[in-house]
Amino acid sequence: MTAQTVQQGDLVTVIGLEVHVQLETDTKIFCGCSTDRTDEPNENVCPVCLGLPGALPVLNEAAVEGAVKIGKAIDADIPEETRFHRKNYYYPDLPKNFQITQYDEPICQEGELEVSVEGDRRTVAIERAHLEEDPGSLQHVGGGGGIDSAEYTLVDYNRAGTPLMEIVTAPDFRSPSEVRAFLAKLEEVLEYLGVFDAERDGSLRIDANLSIIPEEEIESGDVTDIGAEALAAANRTEVKNISSHKGAEKALAYEETRQKNAIQRGRAVEQETRHWDESRGITVSMRSKEEEKDYRYFEEADLPPLQVAHWKDEISIPELPSARRERFQDEYGLNEEAASKLTSTKQVADFYEDVASEFDPDLAATWVADNLLGELNYRDMAITDLEGRFEEVTRLVELVAEEEITAKNARETVLRSMLDDEKAPDAIVEDEGLGKTDEDEVQQAVVAAIDENPDAVDDYASGDDGAINFLVGQVMQKTGGSADPGDVNQLLRAELEG
Amino acid sequence: MSDAVSAEEVRHVAELARVDLADDEVDQFTRQFADILEYFETLDEVPEVDREADLTNVMRPDEERDSLDREAALENASETEDGYFKGPNVS
Repeated sequence: MTAQTVQQGDLVTVIGLEVHVQLETDTKIFCGCSTDRTDEPNENVCPVCLGLPGALPVLNEAAVEGAVKIGKAIDADIPEETRFHRKNYYYPDLPKNFQITQYDEPICQEGELEVSVEGDRRTVAIERAHLEEDPGSLQHVGGGGGIDSAEYTLVDYNRAGTPLMEIVTAPDFRSPSEVRAFLAKLEEVLEYLGVFDAERDGSLRIDANLSIIPEEEIESGDVTDIGAEALAAANRTEVKNISSHKGAEKALAYEETRQKNAIQRGRAVEQETRHWDESRGITVSMRSKEEEKDYRYFEEADLPPLQVAHWKDEISIPELPSARRERFQDEYGLNEEAASKLTSTKQVADFYEDVASEFDPDLAATWVADNLLGELNYRDMAITDLEGRFEEVTRLVELVAEEEITAKNARETVLRSMLDDEKAPDAIVEDEGLGKTDEDEVQQAVVAAIDENPDAVDDYASGDDGAINFLVGQVMQKTGGSADPGDVNQLLRAELEG
Repeated sequence: MSDAVSAEEVRHVAELARVDLADDEVDQFTRQFADILEYFETLDEVPEVDREADLTNVMRPDEERDSLDREAALENASETEDGYFKGPNVS
């Protein structure tokens, strides 16, 4: 049975997320070891992050600032007092046999993030976001490299102690594409805040809970308002090992289909943890003999409580994408679509404002939002690929603004060549001979076109206004496309009427 | 001695700590856990004293400090390989 043949109309997908993001700090959360990536294992380690006896953690102020910034951005409560707990589990990625995390008093509580999904604005509730330390990284070696069949384990504690923020959403998602949109939005906000680097490998890790609920069990009749009872009645799976928003969409689409197929064949969905295997594109059961989770949380006595609620007023955060989008509409008179495109990343927005400060905001919007982003997108490039070349793009807009080249040539020849051949705009204009033809040359071409096409001239004279278009085409041909069609039209009319 | 700790709890804790206990060891640990917990009751006899004000907001600036040399970091490991700590397969 393929997914297409399944009648899925009466089943509702419910997804909630736990998103782990690494905070961009210079040092680890509880010690002064560098968080820089290095190829050499166990270079950035010390007694604290190796869990040596007697070592004491001291909290990194920058990690707390990052957490407060995130709290502000998601409009969360920062409680008067928040504290750390030990989460006990026995696995070699944590040398202490416990992870320092936050339990019942997380630093951010009850926030939300607005996200746009296929044109609809949705608000996703964020139940909590808390600080914790990243574990070290394990390599399972030998026996084919599989986690179960490996011969031994190699452990690198460079990552151990990197500050993490775990962001937990309410089960507010109804489709994998919503999850992807949310994660993209979250990344964008975190990057705007300057607390996160999406380019960094492993900086975003996602665990997702997915369950399928028959629509008739939703008492409210509204799929966005599913009661706790219906949620609790459905078995859910937790999908682990997702590391990107694209991966999340794929993993959850797979899991959604798998569960729906099971239900439609009359089989129960087992409540379990599943591992997303990115290379095979499937989720696999992590059925383990492990005992029920029992983390025996208790207060971390080595870290005094935090009282940082007032930091929310003291720490400022940059203008966030949604606010900037609205300002772009007000300040530059852009429509919502253009404003959305132009605020898609901070770098795009900053660049737009640079261009708009020098030239007409509408022209700047057309160039940045439509032409530049369009051509970049077509080439699977991003604005970051233009690092160091923004002045060249600005120069291109200037050439158009000063009417030194036509918009068509600028877009279709110069911009494309800039991206494909990495040439500077003036060099392209020169090489391709795109400089606008001077007026005498255009005038000569107009006269020549009239001389050579008496039939068209007669047609025009007898009232066929369409004939002018034919003549414009002739002039454009003679000038190699560098004349302005509007000007040519007027010159022709002037010549013919005169 | 009272049932401060049950044999079942001892087995559970041993499992969480990946410690394999034989039945007679379970009995032994059950008794010893009870003794240890009872010993904590001694604290009830400590007189009330003024304590120092609670600390809050103890933090350090985000400034890098020297890490251990890798050799020193790995010094106490029973097995290492290419700068990694080496251990048995864990699943």
